[in-house]
Amino acid sequence: MRPLHRLVALFLVFLLGAAACQPATPPPAATPTAPPAASPTPAGTLEERAPIRIGAPFNLTGGMASIDVPAANGARLAAEEINAAGGVLGRPIELLIRDTKTDPATAATVVTQLIEQDKVVAVIGFNDSDYVLAAGPICQRAGIPFITVGATSPRLPGQVGDMLFLTPFGDNVQAAVGAEFAFEKFGKTAYLLWDKGAEYTTVLAKYFKERFAELGGTIVLEDTYQSGDKDFSAQIAKVKALPQQPDFYYISALPDDVGTIVKQFRNAGITGPIVGGDGYDTPLLLEVAGPAAENVFFTTHSLLTADSPNEKVRKFVEAYKQKYGTEPEAVFAALGYDTVYVLAEAIRRAGSTDGQAIKQALESIRDFPAATGVINYSPQSHIPQKGVTVIEVKGGKFTLAVERVPQKVPAP
Amino acid sequence: MGTSPIRRGWRWGLRGVALLLLAGIYLALERGGSAYLQRLAVLFLINLMLVVSLNLFTGFTGVFSLGHVGFMALGAYTSAILTLPIAMKKVNLPDLPAPLASTTLPFLPALILGGFTAAAVALLIGIPILRLSGHFVAVATLGFLIITRVVLINAEAFTRGTRTFTGVPPFTTLGWAALWALLNLYIAWRLKHSSLGLQVRAARDDPWGARGVGVSIARVRLIAFGISAFFTGIAGGLWAHFLTAFSPNAFYFSKTFEIIVMMIVGGMGSVTGSVLGTLLVMASTELLRNMEPGFAIGSFTFGPLYGLSQIGLAVLLILLITFRRQGLLGDQELRLEAIPERVERWLAQRKVVLESPRVRKADP
Amino acid sequence: MHAAGSLEFWIQQLINALGLGSQYALMAVGLAMVFAVMRLINFAHGTVMMASAYIGLLLLQAGMPFPLVALGAIAGAAALGVLMERIAYRPVRGASDVALLLNSFAVAVLLENLAIMLFSPRSRPFPMPALLTRVFHPGGNLFLPSIHLWAFGGALLALSGLALFVTRTRLGLAMRAAAENPVAAQLLGIEIGKVTVLAFAIGSAMAGLAVLFWTAHVGTINPGMGFEPVLKAFVACVIGGFGTIQGAVLGGYLLGALEIVLQGLLPSGIVGYRDAMVYGILILILLVRPGGILGYLEAERV
Repeated sequence: MRPLHRLVALFLVFLLGAAACQPATPPPAATPTAPPAASPTPAGTLEERAPIRIGAPFNLTGGMASIDVPAANGARLAAEEINAAGGVLGRPIELLIRDTKTDPATAATVVTQLIEQDKVVAVIGFNDSDYVLAAGPICQRAGIPFITVGATSPRLPGQVGDMLFLTPFGDNVQAAVGAEFAFEKFGKTAYLLWDKGAEYTTVLAKYFKERFAELGGTIVLEDTYQSGDKDFSAQIAKVKALPQQPDFYYISALPDDVGTIVKQFRNAGITGPIVGGDGYDTPLLLEVAGPAAENVFFTTHSLLTADSPNEKVRKFVEAYKQKYGTEPEAVFAALGYDTVYVLAEAIRRAGSTDGQAIKQALESIRDFPAATGVINYSPQSHIPQKGVTVIEVKGGKFTLAVERVPQKVPAP
Repeated sequence: MGTSPIRRGWRWGLRGVALLLLAGIYLALERGGSAYLQRLAVLFLINLMLVVSLNLFTGFTGVFSLGHVGFMALGAYTSAILTLPIAMKKVNLPDLPAPLASTTLPFLPALILGGFTAAAVALLIGIPILRLSGHFVAVATLGFLIITRVVLINAEAFTRGTRTFTGVPPFTTLGWAALWALLNLYIAWRLKHSSLGLQVRAARDDPWGARGVGVSIARVRLIAFGISAFFTGIAGGLWAHFLTAFSPNAFYFSKTFEIIVMMIVGGMGSVTGSVLGTLLVMASTELLRNMEPGFAIGSFTFGPLYGLSQIGLAVLLILLITFRRQGLLGDQELRLEAIPERVERWLAQRKVVLESPRVRKADP
Repeated sequence: MHAAGSLEFWIQQLINALGLGSQYALMAVGLAMVFAVMRLINFAHGTVMMASAYIGLLLLQAGMPFPLVALGAIAGAAALGVLMERIAYRPVRGASDVALLLNSFAVAVLLENLAIMLFSPRSRPFPMPALLTRVFHPGGNLFLPSIHLWAFGGALLALSGLALFVTRTRLGLAMRAAAENPVAAQLLGIEIGKVTVLAFAIGSAMAGLAVLFWTAHVGTINPGMGFEPVLKAFVACVIGGFGTIQGAVLGGYLLGALEIVLQGLLPSGIVGYRDAMVYGILILILLVRPGGILGYLEAERV
């Protein structure tokens, strides 16, 4: 076959050429450009002054949409409240919300465009590491601070760099609290089930397992399901066939699935305590499982109900209901809301919109009261050191079980 | 082909102009300073490779593959594992088997090994699958796509499972992408006009006749499948070293749909059509995406309309299949020297084409 | 695995397999009907299920009693199916199988994103009457959700009803003739267009029925909910034999049983590969018996 021979020869020539030009193409050099610092009190009414632009990429369509849309809604609400109260540095905040289609390539393109064309001074967004890690390095190279709303992998700052901050605690923290709380309250044996198709659920289950084993607990049965599975009868049959039921059931699931899982477990006659993470912090749990949700415990950021003792929370829940006609769909709504407030506070403290200045101001934030708990950052830790709230479902309502910090946190 | 000196002169002139134009665009993107446009250009070139490669199999053989994104994933993960610095491997992939854990390859060999992995898997599954008739190949390759995803999620020692695979060195530059895309285009072009290409297309258009003259349909399909998978794997590797972070979720139905739309728009079996299709789809997607946050027509303001770009793409596909089933170019090629003639002919024949769309049998 | 030995465990898994299989069978029947008359793998079948669920929820929120909600959702699904045929599929009739498949894919993407715009992507609870959600505990550790019985009964009824329709009524006979040989059917004076519309209406109504039971089992609906079911229905059709209603039902039960057995039997280290095994078996069936287990479509080899 002559053409094939010719092709092979051509291919070899190409390889030589390619090899020769390899060192000649270095990656594009970073050119951090510091935008001019804004004068603190420009003239004119708030609307007339140049807005402070903040990029807000979220996956508003596609598989992540049910998680990212509440987060974007929370962020939008916070920006409107801040502007109604006079803005920041005398200027309004302009939140540029963009849809990245649950596609990491689009996420990277959108963030590049936000920085380059829209000249945003900071970026907030995303609830999953895939997109944070696709977009984060671009912000890092451009010297633009990036606060992720809901991605909870504790390794993110190490993977991206010093421009990255998290609004939530790391999954290792809440998994440790979940393990310690359940070990003390329910006992030494656990059943573990997690969604193998999602990062959050996998990481949470891994840290739980690590901390629970360290405490001396035993996992009597471990099982998984795939994202998209809606029938858990095979898993349940395995649990029911155990010679002895475990002291509790740790189930690591996404918000869309928690109601379905709890309902099906309870329907099958499994009545023991079910323990989970902040994926459970959604009204769906109560709406779908109904009375079956009793005796469910989960770790989350704070008690987000309209009758919370925390004024910040009450204000948020009421304003959200007013604006969107629904209770916050998931805890990500509150995280989005807090992210904008914490960023606004940093810009206020920095007195400028320069990336480095905002980053340093963020690092100086201590005891910042947010709806999802008190936020502390430091130059060493861009993951907020905050307490974990354990919620118990009792009487058809979320009630506060305990607030605590873990005794020991698994290494990220 | 009649090649009078004047025509030849024209042709070389046009080619020169086109080359200069391409070089100009390249330099403008490389040195022009817009990171946004440069990103789009690299993504365009990678998508172009995916589309041309898919076309190299599907367009030429008439057999649909819904599993090519699986080859892309294989290329991406293989090359990323190979180039990951050793220190990074210790942190991110602690359970990697010994020879892989202690070696790091430069970009080019890693990329090519990624391509070969994809091609090897293609040959392995192609031998049984490609003996089936068209419809069933589509189903079987769909199965392959889903199996690939499940394996990527579960082979945690190699892929980190659903956790983001990160720390991949950002080796893919505009130059690299352009070089590979050009090579891919050239090989696709040569294959189409080689005796192998002729056999493949004969098998597509008239399987009985082709068999009659001694063409082994399964064999030529397999060769096309392997080459196609190789370049798809390379494109996956370029994509991986461009984004630097990804998970198995990136290689699934939405990417498959995107590539197929680009191919259908350009025309199945047309190399230059792939270029046009990729360009058109990416441009309209990007345009619609930029309209999503809200836009104004006259005194009416619209938006935000998130999801507009997906809807636009779906409508485009439906309209195209309804009104111009063969895509923009069918399996014809756009030749530089024929641009003016073609435009004229197209205008003259438009009515005729609409009334009797050329229906090609997908099934032999 | 200490569980695998007990008889009770296997009886329970048998119940689960029959329940899940009934659900899949109902989803697959509609897909198979459309395929039979049009050679179209209607990927938008799942989107019809989604739309039907939202119609049901809207009716429920409007205060309708449940029987009307169910009827409305099924009728809405049928209407949407007919509309889809009219707008998206009739103009491309006669195109290659793959062009049709892609068209249905585009319709699915279109409708899903429209639903996201209209209803927001969040999941919504769909409260079902106790009749559908009750669970029986027949003794020992066994449990039997009533939805399994409903789905089983529904599948049985739909299958026998369709069988009667196809063999005993003129329209049904016409549909079968059109499925087996469209050209000959046309020569005999059967209006293919009419038959196709009918197949879409019945097939989509089946999707409406299927999603009713599925939603009772799941408890929530969202714009992306049709994706997994249509894949399952598709696999069921391929396993059982594309284009026959009996094949779709058999495939549905086989798929349900396969998933339950693999999930129940595999040790936790490799249970994640469940779906890879399911699709591996699918490809094997394609290779050994391309027409599916009951398929009359004999695939041609090259």
